[in-house]
Amino acid sequence: MATNELAVNLEVRARRAYELGRLRWALRLMPLLAAAGAAALACGRPVGLCCALVAALAPLAVGLAYAGGPAGRAVGPGLLAGSFALALPLAVRTIGHVCASDICMSLCLPSCVAGGGIAGAMLALRAAKEQGGALFIASGLAIAGLMGALGCTLAGAGGVIGMAAGAVAAGAPVLALRPRQP
Amino acid sequence: MVRLADGDRSAFRPAFAMLWPQLRTFSVRLAGEADGEDAAQAALLRVFARAGEYDRDRDALAWALGIAAWECRTLRKRRERRREQLALALDVADAAAAGASSPEDAAVERELREAAESILGTLRPIDIETIAAAASGRRAQGATFRKRLERALARFRLAWRARHGNE
Repeated sequence: MATNELAVNLEVRARRAYELGRLRWALRLMPLLAAAGAAALACGRPVGLCCALVAALAPLAVGLAYAGGPAGRAVGPGLLAGSFALALPLAVRTIGHVCASDICMSLCLPSCVAGGGIAGAMLALRAAKEQGGALFIASGLAIAGLMGALGCTLAGAGGVIGMAAGAVAAGAPVLALRPRQP
Repeated sequence: MVRLADGDRSAFRPAFAMLWPQLRTFSVRLAGEADGEDAAQAALLRVFARAGEYDRDRDALAWALGIAAWECRTLRKRRERRREQLALALDVADAAAAGASSPEDAAVERELREAAESILGTLRPIDIETIAAAASGRRAQGATFRKRLERALARFRLAWRARHGNE
């Protein structure tokens, strides 16, 4: 009886350790998210907008990573893919380009579309190897979209729409042509 | 472990049922019954806490046993450190009680006493009894006891030199 109680107690403690370990493991993403927000701020993005996007992205990324499964596996690739969509428009700003308006067609919008395209292709390539592809894609796109929006709002709402369009345009053919899982 | 690392909670119970006996047996063999149980529990908790970091290319059991071995080592070191601290505290107390000049003197004295005790253990029971009686001041009067003590001390010196030389 006492041995059985000890085993049950140990199992409860082990389960708690597992859940806390997963949470700690998921929270390792926080410095990366903070760095993305800081990079956007450093490139002149509005404080309120950056805070709102990071506030939406952080619980989503940490929550999905903690929960695990295909959606959790998509967090890392989603952040990586989104970092291209984040970096390209910000890089445009750092090379001295100045946008005259929100709908800047010379560099800002194309860089958002290109960043979205890279993100979409990367996620689709990765999703082709994954089981539970739909959940993986949905989660990865949400994460990449929020991450990329930190940079793509440089071109206003058009930048975000351009990024999404680029992601769909580049990702859809890759997904359509992927070899079927047995 | 791969399923656990992926966040599949339904894999927890089978993993627990498989890991606990293995970790317990391994730790008890490595660290003894009392320490092994503690080390196995600590290792089990650590294995589950780090399940998210598990690399699917590695062998799960080898990984878990590696953690258990580390826990056994940590536990042993902690116990040794505690024992050393206790011995040091005893030395300080001995030194204070005996009026020795420093804890180092007390430690040297303790080592000598331990060495003497280990040599005593190799002598015959009658020699041990005689030396103990002489050391505690319970020496009997008469030539018989004196002779017996001389012979016991001679054998003690011989055994001491055989083990420690002429120190």
